[in-house]
Amino acid sequence: MSLLGTSEEKPAKFWAFIAPSEPIAPNVQNAEWPVNPIDNFILDRIERAGHGPSEKAEPRKLVRRAYLDLLGIPPSTEQLNSYLENKDPNAWSELIEELLASPMYGERWGRHWLDVARYSDSNGMDENIAHPEAYRYRNYVINSFNQDKPFNQFIIEQIAGDLLPAEDSDKKREQTIAAGFLSVGPKMLACDDPDKMRRDIADEQIDTTGRAFMGMTLGCARCHDHKFDPISIEDYYGLAGIFMSTKTLTKYSVVAQLHHHDLSTEGDKERRNEITQLEKKISTKGIEEDTKKKLQDEVSKIKKDLSPPYEVLAVTEYPTKDVRVHLRGDYQTLGDTVPRRLPPAIAGQIQHPMPNDQSGRLEFARWIASEKNPLTARVLVNRLWRWHFGRGIVPTPDNYGTLGEKPTHPELLDYLALEFIHSNWSIKSMHRLIMKSATYQQSSFADESIKKADPDNQLFARWEIRRLESEVLRDSILFKANLIDLKMGNSMLTASKHKYANRDKLSEHIKSNKRTVYLPVMRSSGYDGQNAFDFPDPAMINGNRNSSTIAPQALYLMNSPLIHRSSNALAKIHKEATTNVSISNKINWMILHILSRPATENEISRTEKFIHTYSTDNELDAWAAFARTLFASNEFLYIE
Amino acid sequence: MGLCLNRQPCPLSRRDMLMGSGIGFGSLALNAMLTTESSAVTLSPSIAKAKRIIFLFMHGGPSTLDLFDPKESLKKNNGKPLPYDKPRIVSSKTGNLLASPWNFKQHGQSGAWVSELLPNISSITDDLCFLHSMHCSNSRHGGALLELHTGSDTFTRPAMGSWINYGLGSENNNLPGFITINPPSSHGGSGAWSSAFLPPRYGGTMIRGNSKEMKIPFINNPLGDRSKQRKEIDLLNALNQEHLTKHKFNSELESRIESYELAFRMQMTAPGIQDVSAEPTHINKLYGADEKPTAEFAKQCIMARRLSESGVRFVQVTHRYWDSHGNLRGEHEKLSKEMDKPVAGLITDLKQRGLLEDTLVLWGGEFGRTPVAQGNNGRDHNPHGFTMFMAGGGTRPGTQYGSTDDYGYHAEKSPIHFHDLHATILHLMGINHTQLTYRYAGRDFRLTDVHGNVVKDIIA
Repeated sequence: MSLLGTSEEKPAKFWAFIAPSEPIAPNVQNAEWPVNPIDNFILDRIERAGHGPSEKAEPRKLVRRAYLDLLGIPPSTEQLNSYLENKDPNAWSELIEELLASPMYGERWGRHWLDVARYSDSNGMDENIAHPEAYRYRNYVINSFNQDKPFNQFIIEQIAGDLLPAEDSDKKREQTIAAGFLSVGPKMLACDDPDKMRRDIADEQIDTTGRAFMGMTLGCARCHDHKFDPISIEDYYGLAGIFMSTKTLTKYSVVAQLHHHDLSTEGDKERRNEITQLEKKISTKGIEEDTKKKLQDEVSKIKKDLSPPYEVLAVTEYPTKDVRVHLRGDYQTLGDTVPRRLPPAIAGQIQHPMPNDQSGRLEFARWIASEKNPLTARVLVNRLWRWHFGRGIVPTPDNYGTLGEKPTHPELLDYLALEFIHSNWSIKSMHRLIMKSATYQQSSFADESIKKADPDNQLFARWEIRRLESEVLRDSILFKANLIDLKMGNSMLTASKHKYANRDKLSEHIKSNKRTVYLPVMRSSGYDGQNAFDFPDPAMINGNRNSSTIAPQALYLMNSPLIHRSSNALAKIHKEATTNVSISNKINWMILHILSRPATENEISRTEKFIHTYSTDNELDAWAAFARTLFASNEFLYIE
Repeated sequence: MGLCLNRQPCPLSRRDMLMGSGIGFGSLALNAMLTTESSAVTLSPSIAKAKRIIFLFMHGGPSTLDLFDPKESLKKNNGKPLPYDKPRIVSSKTGNLLASPWNFKQHGQSGAWVSELLPNISSITDDLCFLHSMHCSNSRHGGALLELHTGSDTFTRPAMGSWINYGLGSENNNLPGFITINPPSSHGGSGAWSSAFLPPRYGGTMIRGNSKEMKIPFINNPLGDRSKQRKEIDLLNALNQEHLTKHKFNSELESRIESYELAFRMQMTAPGIQDVSAEPTHINKLYGADEKPTAEFAKQCIMARRLSESGVRFVQVTHRYWDSHGNLRGEHEKLSKEMDKPVAGLITDLKQRGLLEDTLVLWGGEFGRTPVAQGNNGRDHNPHGFTMFMAGGGTRPGTQYGSTDDYGYHAEKSPIHFHDLHATILHLMGINHTQLTYRYAGRDFRLTDVHGNVVKDIIA
């Protein structure tokens, strides 16, 4: 082993394995521009490339950007105007605070995390079993973002929440729910070979955990030493021991069943026991009718106070066990036993041994969430940057290995990683820092010269326009049509645990007016419209969603039930809001409402003609058609 | 060069696209293409016979021992124990050997054995290329189905139709390049037509229902008035053009403008192509679209032909459900009746239109069934040895390739794993399976993973 990470030994050479060091913000020529150190790092590179940053975006574009970015819906006309009228020099900061305090923030940013957590309400794969309790994990993620839970704690809870001490039963529930992160992955549930199954599940957990938190493709070392990164097959089986000592399933025979924790209150557990006892008596032979009746009454009385069982889908512990290396990944061809341990190339050769009475998951989680881990904070701040700007400082946010791309701004990445740690892993602090920067506030109307010189915007010398994600698009349309239901959602699944998810219900679910994050995510199927807009395959971690331009998106915006019912609803609102005003004001109202800007003269004259010729007998239809057209327009579909 | 919003026409256009800017993929998708360009496909036009595929998928695992693989030893030893150990991993408990209840005859010049269950397929055996030594690794429907469609029974991987579209693109930009008709919703569901980590435009479009109602999602204009929709798109174009003047050099915005025109055209062409009622009587007769047990599957096979001849690269039709654990005689007789005439009709029709030369037809299930009985009239799943067949697309007609052992349990002579099947299909389409790669999560993935040998002997 030559690649060691501890300070007293030979340091690792690969950039991502060297701990970040406090970088010095460079001096820049245009000293007026930077608002905070982010801008020094960004501008330095722009200037060295012989360019300058873009202008600051107009206020109304910035408001729309902030709303869509933080909440996933555009501002209402009132919200827009209130910002535009606010002359306070701190208006921008106030807006950011207001948005971060909205419960809709967690729904937007929690959804980003759910992409990484390959969250799904059903198993998919070979047997699409429902996860009716998985929504608790989803809501936990949303709440954690809203609470600005320190991210290191968030990490530990998701990997080992079931093993953490808890001061009360609410905390116990919350932490156990978090460990659902390991359970919601896709699994082959019909397999005649349980030994293969256990290993495949552990492998999926190792792969997801490694990539989600550290950008490391640890799964590559299952069959042989990692071809590109310093992870040996022994290192893999050192981790595999941890996950093989973790229990994900309770039943392995076909169809296998996932482990659930019963976290009902003690009172309820007792009541359920009593009921069982009573029912036993009731069913004894030769029981007298009177006694039977009495006992039955007793049962119904107890049932009155009884809540349904509080079940949580999450992993638990198995007896601990070190495993042997599986040569070429085959569990029938075994090599030497490897003690459970952390990957030495990152954690160093000298490690505390793993506990004998626990899997080691908690130790693994604490190591990942440690400020000494050179990868974790970098990976997370880069994820945040990616979700704000559409492109990471490391352009491959799920892969920091040799085959991943190198950071375009390594000092900025380190600066952000250390700021993140210093802020006690506060995501909201990072939003404030990033959004207050001049870099974030640049316009998307950049100089042609710089667009040609830097087509991928590697310099971040402009705001790169980007299409709304599938959820943001649907939520925005529902919001503008005043149809949206903003209450937090629970599970919409009707199937109980261990039963098949019912795909036929998808067509019902999609009719809901709840925010899209609350619609069940079903693997091996899904909503046609959402899939067309690049909703990622929920069987795989994805911190870098695709953004394609394909004809099925156009079909959706022309013909889907959502677009038609929303445009019809909006036409009615429009009619009431614009009685007794001129047609040009009517047009202006609609454009301001949907695009958050006043109409141009061209648009007014063109639309006037459109309204008059569209339908001779039904003006409401014409306004609905106009609303539909605006919903389908590039200006609505992109964050500028 | 043509518009390539949904699928690009050919590998050449990928290069065009990389050089030009205004052609129209999303910028992120473009990045994805750029990163994989170094390992993109090399076509070998000299061997590329097949331009498109029609996959007739027999969901549930047909008992090919009762269709194409008669065994003298099985017949003789009916009711006796299997003379060797059963596999270590099985899906259900089985008993002794069970002879096929049906009679077999040799057919055509090639002398292929086909059971009496399939009189129509019997009549075209000289056009077929039988693969008698298929095998796979998984004894359960979901695992084997995903293995057949994606090459992996362990992880989520792109479907072969997605790989092929990624490699070759579409021949028709007004239609999706990969359409699957009535696929199973269980046992992997969309895993069998998903693009997984490939860009989503390579994923399959699923159409479901009976042959009249199956539609591409959102293809119907709810206004029912094309001229009104045209007005909306004209206004939209004007708004978008004005917006575009402020965002010069943005190919994504330009291509989105084009995408509405494409969608509008797709709306006009797709329903016509899917409309099987326009077929003449003799064609309906040929497929059995005019009579009860065959009508529905026949119409789906006709639709498959219509989509295929319109340039859809990969069309899959699913027939189900061949999982005869308990009522082999009844179920296999019924299923064979439904399937036989439409399949023979499709191959005959493709041939008479001159399409069979460059259309590869593949027939088969996720596995076969055991020679040993489950109960007294059933067979369990058997991934160890079974038959599939191909026709056209550069395969050698009248071929009998490979064989199972004396009892039909294990592939014995020249075994073909699903990985080999995939390698061979790609080869027939002119793609070297070791070079069709996509970089994801730190490594270059292939349809055939690290496996796959082209079965050269079946190629004409």
